Amino acid sequence: MAIEQTARPAAQRPARPRQRREREEELLVWPDLLFPEFICAVLFTITFILLSVFIDAPLLNRANPDITPNPSKAPWYFLNLQELLLHMDKAWAGVILPTIAIIGLIMVPYLDRDTEGRGVWFGTKNAVKIFGFGAIYASAINILLILFDAGKFEAITRWVPGLQPIRETQLDGSEVLVNKGLLSVKDFEGRFAWPEDLRNIPVPFNQQVCDIYFKDLHLWCNFHLNLPGIMSGQVIPLSLIFGFTVAMIYTVFMLGWLRTRRDLMLVLFTGFFFTFLVLTVTGSFFRGPGQELVPPWGIVVDEG
Amino acid sequence: MAVEQPGRPRNTRERFQILGDLIYDKMFHNFVWQSIFRSGYPNTPRNQMLAVATNVFLHLHPTRIHRTHVKITHTYCLGGLTFFMFLMLTVTGVLLMFYYVPSVDRAYNDIQAIQTDVRFGQLMRNVHRWTAHGMVIFVFLHMFRVFYTGAYKAPREFNWVVGVILLVLTLLLSFTGYLLPWDQLALWAITVGHGIGGSAPYLGDETQLVLFGGFEIGQNALIRFYTLHVLALPLAAAIFMAVHFWRIRRDGGMARPL
Repeated sequence: MAIEQTARPAAQRPARPRQRREREEELLVWPDLLFPEFICAVLFTITFILLSVFIDAPLLNRANPDITPNPSKAPWYFLNLQELLLHMDKAWAGVILPTIAIIGLIMVPYLDRDTEGRGVWFGTKNAVKIFGFGAIYASAINILLILFDAGKFEAITRWVPGLQPIRETQLDGSEVLVNKGLLSVKDFEGRFAWPEDLRNIPVPFNQQVCDIYFKDLHLWCNFHLNLPGIMSGQVIPLSLIFGFTVAMIYTVFMLGWLRTRRDLMLVLFTGFFFTFLVLTVTGSFFRGPGQELVPPWGIVVDEG
Repeated sequence: MAVEQPGRPRNTRERFQILGDLIYDKMFHNFVWQSIFRSGYPNTPRNQMLAVATNVFLHLHPTRIHRTHVKITHTYCLGGLTFFMFLMLTVTGVLLMFYYVPSVDRAYNDIQAIQTDVRFGQLMRNVHRWTAHGMVIFVFLHMFRVFYTGAYKAPREFNWVVGVILLVLTLLLSFTGYLLPWDQLALWAITVGHGIGGSAPYLGDETQLVLFGGFEIGQNALIRFYTLHVLALPLAAAIFMAVHFWRIRRDGGMARPL
């Protein structure tokens, strides 16, 4: 008699809306897509022509290799790299990290294989929270690190043992030694009394292999390890990048927001995007002569 | 659609109506117009689909599209705008090429001549400059949109890869164009890039030689950047764009929730 108990007459079943067929959900491209596209094109043509009528493209003096403007800056979309160059080894900042970033971007869809949240803005359950956290975290960390490298926090690192005082020239020309904390990560290389041997460690086959095999490659031709330099230019900055990234993922995980690989990608991409943004904005608006950290109104370009 | 001739017009309004119909008929129902446009305005769903499917410029679109994709907040039209910037850059770029000679001696004077002697030259240069910045911004925003809508997920993985390549090509296009005015801004911006290229581990000198044609920015760098900027990179970008757009169709249109 189980059938009698479960099967109810159709009239008693709760009315469910009929699922609409795929075709019924579709609109015609002409006119529903083409017209917005056309209007968009017209609007932006007008916008850019108006912009061009009122603001002229810059043209400075003829290029002169003998006169260096200060500061000289790359195009704005590369100012993030130029900013990064100030803080670490140039090979890492200028070439290796960007390459890793591009490879990382390419790998995103191959790491995040599940289809959760496809085609919807912030499709997973915690996506908005992760985005907000990642944006604030990455911006804050980057701003703090930039401020640290500009020597803003030197007062709290004066206790560090072994730090050499700085020679400062007074107004009357006399020199005094001033006890200062770490002015930047680069101080790690220059401000400690490292034994000279550590700055100049020969590498096996130095000068020999080069002459025989690797004449045209610059590997091992005249290769000396500068341990303090490697520490301040490569080990510390890279550890910071890696450490803060792991800390960000770990925090999101401990908050219970990290459920899928999509969430992991959201953390990483948001962190990357806002790091990129902060570095670009800093490089564009906060770097004056000598790449000093200055407010936007303090940037004066010395034409040389 | 032959115009049906009524009797005598009763009032002015009807007179204008007849006149309008007559002009419409003469303009669009003659053998010259119809040799270009085979059919009239597509005012039935069937004809609208045919118009999209058979037109060479429109046929990258599907004939129908899901309701949610037409909403402006789904895409903000960013990919389309990037492509549109590319088209505007091509048009203004061709016009600028008429007057520009990529030689260290002439380049700067040519830019000055474009700005002062050529009719609408300054406007063309401005449009080229601002749309170039616009294209870089839109390509970043487009990537932002595609990521946060999860549109890179299967089966669209490879189209994301093509997109990343297009992002790099856009940056290179903009960067190579930056040197061409041969002013202080151009020279020293590219010098910074030259320094970054030279810092490549083990291949620094080679990178500088290949990309910039020497260890300082001079005629070699200018002609290389010019050739890349007007020929090689736009061609590469156009090919990748064709693949990019075609794959949207092949991968089943824009990404949708399951």
